[in-house]
Amino acid sequence: MGDDVNPNRRGALRVLAVGGVVGCGALAVPTIRFLVAPAAGGGGSGRWVKTVPLESLTEGEPKRVALVSDHRDAWTLEKQVELGAAWLERRGDKVVAWSTVCPHLGCAVDRSPTGPGFFCPCHDSYFDAEGGRVNGPSPRGLDVLAARVEDGFVHVEFQRFRQGTPDKEPVG
Amino acid sequence: MRLRDIGTFIEERTSLGAAAASFLDARVPSGAWVSRVLASAVAACVGVLALTGVALMMAYSPAPQSAWASVHYIEYVQAHGWIIRGLHFWAAQALFVLAALAILHGTFVASYRSPREIMWWLMLVVLGLTLAEMITGGLLPWDQRGWWGRVVEANIVGMAPVIGGWIGRMISGGPELGALGLVRAYTAHVVLLPLPLVLALWGQRAMARRHGWAPGADSKSAPYVRLLGSSALVGAMVVCGLFAVTGWARHAPLEAPADGMSDYPARPEWFLMTLYRLRKFFHGPMEFWGTTALPGVAAGYFALLPWIERRLSRAVAIAGALAVFGGAAALGVLAFRHDAGDPQYVKAHAKWEKQAAAAIELAKGGVPPDGALAMERRDPELRGRDVFDKHCASCHVLGDLGDGKKASASRLDGWGTTAWIEAMMHDPDAPEFFGRGPYLEQMPSVDVRPKKKPPGEAWKPMIRSDAERKAVALFLAKEGDEPSDAPRPPVDPKALAEGEKIVSDRCTTCHLYKGDGDDEGSGLAPELSRYGSLEWTRAQVANPATATVYRDKALDPAMKKHMPRFDKDLTAGDIDLVARYVRSHGRSSSL
Repeated sequence: MGDDVNPNRRGALRVLAVGGVVGCGALAVPTIRFLVAPAAGGGGSGRWVKTVPLESLTEGEPKRVALVSDHRDAWTLEKQVELGAAWLERRGDKVVAWSTVCPHLGCAVDRSPTGPGFFCPCHDSYFDAEGGRVNGPSPRGLDVLAARVEDGFVHVEFQRFRQGTPDKEPVG
Repeated sequence: MRLRDIGTFIEERTSLGAAAASFLDARVPSGAWVSRVLASAVAACVGVLALTGVALMMAYSPAPQSAWASVHYIEYVQAHGWIIRGLHFWAAQALFVLAALAILHGTFVASYRSPREIMWWLMLVVLGLTLAEMITGGLLPWDQRGWWGRVVEANIVGMAPVIGGWIGRMISGGPELGALGLVRAYTAHVVLLPLPLVLALWGQRAMARRHGWAPGADSKSAPYVRLLGSSALVGAMVVCGLFAVTGWARHAPLEAPADGMSDYPARPEWFLMTLYRLRKFFHGPMEFWGTTALPGVAAGYFALLPWIERRLSRAVAIAGALAVFGGAAALGVLAFRHDAGDPQYVKAHAKWEKQAAAAIELAKGGVPPDGALAMERRDPELRGRDVFDKHCASCHVLGDLGDGKKASASRLDGWGTTAWIEAMMHDPDAPEFFGRGPYLEQMPSVDVRPKKKPPGEAWKPMIRSDAERKAVALFLAKEGDEPSDAPRPPVDPKALAEGEKIVSDRCTTCHLYKGDGDDEGSGLAPELSRYGSLEWTRAQVANPATATVYRDKALDPAMKKHMPRFDKDLTAGDIDLVARYVRSHGRSSSL
């Protein structure tokens, strides 16, 4: 190609660029908004879920209890399924509830194999009987969920929190 | 003659033949055979992956309810499905290893040097995209390993400052990993990642035609078609190797269906165990930087090798690369050895292996439309066992569940068999029956004189002969029979009638039989009609303090450690499943 083609090429490229920017830009706006829509997040309030009777809990003995309610996942609505679980421990007429989701990276927290308290089998975070952080990589203690007793049944506020941060930040 | 006409017709219009001839006949650098073999093997793996991948797409269904079921269908039901998925799985592992080897070898022969920098970077891109393909592909079976791996990965990304949370939600398709997260991974796996991967391979090859694969490649030259021939040979060997490994492994891994409620001890795929282990060295705010920046630095090191060698020395370049590879391998080995030596992990892992095997067997009968997890939750063997483990095994023993040393309630191995009933009637206070629970000394032996009875006082055993004991046991065992149970060998109707007579005459001093009995009004000994049947078992689990089972006193607070009622804790469905589990395992085992 000779140098004499360049002015033509410059003009053609300009048309191409303008057309491309307008066309792609027009397509990009709804496409990108479509793609990022599910990522729109931010703190949400939890949902109160009725669980087990208070009498089924033993003082000082945490019990893993499923939180059953309706679950919406994109286009699916499942009626009365296990949304998650909580460790419930009776303290007199009150109940303490901890999320079973490890605040580190979200694995399921279990009772500690070595004594009272809890531990996470993924990265070996240990928590004491009050849910406080003992050692391991978890940046905070277990997340306490709001719980109240109504008509003899324990109600727990199902709520997720952001993982891996020192502060307890609600999500979803 | 006619064929040649067609050829001429096409050639005149497309010039394909001439283009192919000049493409194939061109002389290209043909040295550096090791690099060429590695590159050919990489390309062969990608070819196998593309072919088997498209085949798998024809049967795979990317939705939470159907993903596991469709992968199970491919692997265990569809003809040759295990071969296609096996080839796909092993080709992916091989691609990762070969791409890493190509980089390691390239470091030694300095194939990063000018003018091959871009080819070198493309090889790094190939390894990176392969890793991304393996990570997205790992989620597609929607099994425990894939699901938990992705939850953890999304949360690791979520630890990034400022935009971390947003990226995590982009990956998961929302605040929690769900249907959109799966379709996103799928789209990335089959379109978004393969396209640049193939482009990168094509770019490498286009440049290799001119420069050869490594320094010294241009010492020799050959027509390009010869190189393609040797590539095809390497490719054929790779395919044979993949077939061999697939046949040897028999099945590519498929774990139990993803269950976010389970206590699964999550571990990443083997190629991420290095990063998993790296995490242990960085806690708190350092964690994100330690586990993402450090691999980033390693990748940057390889990308900058052309300049590192020029500025420092070739020895430094090689030493750094060896340190990265050696360190990565050592950390991976450490992580695996740590797990292998951790009894807690080994036990949990074994439990989930068993669960996977059971789910795979169960699914062979078909998976319901609401998915494999719902299938598991309706199965006595899986859900019933799980409920027993969580709610019953603290007091009862059945099979491998429960602790025989701590059990305070009856051992249920053999429950419902004549042998269990005979042993129970003979010595109710044995440790495997009431010996360690609240019913201790509540039921007298039917044929042993009570120790507390003062000597000389009259005592008459309730059962006076072996024949009588066998008759009662037979009758009671038969009371529990369900039409769905394995048929019993024919029984002597006379013995059965005798058993019923003894039960209704003598046992009803304390027990109920068909609602009658308990002459002393103790309210403690259970109803014996339909004892051990499905309905009886369900009623006993739901609430022992009802007239058809253990009756009013069963929940008396004075009966310390009595069996609780479960109808408020458990759904009717779960009670049914645990009752079925206890019956079938009790009856098919012995004390």
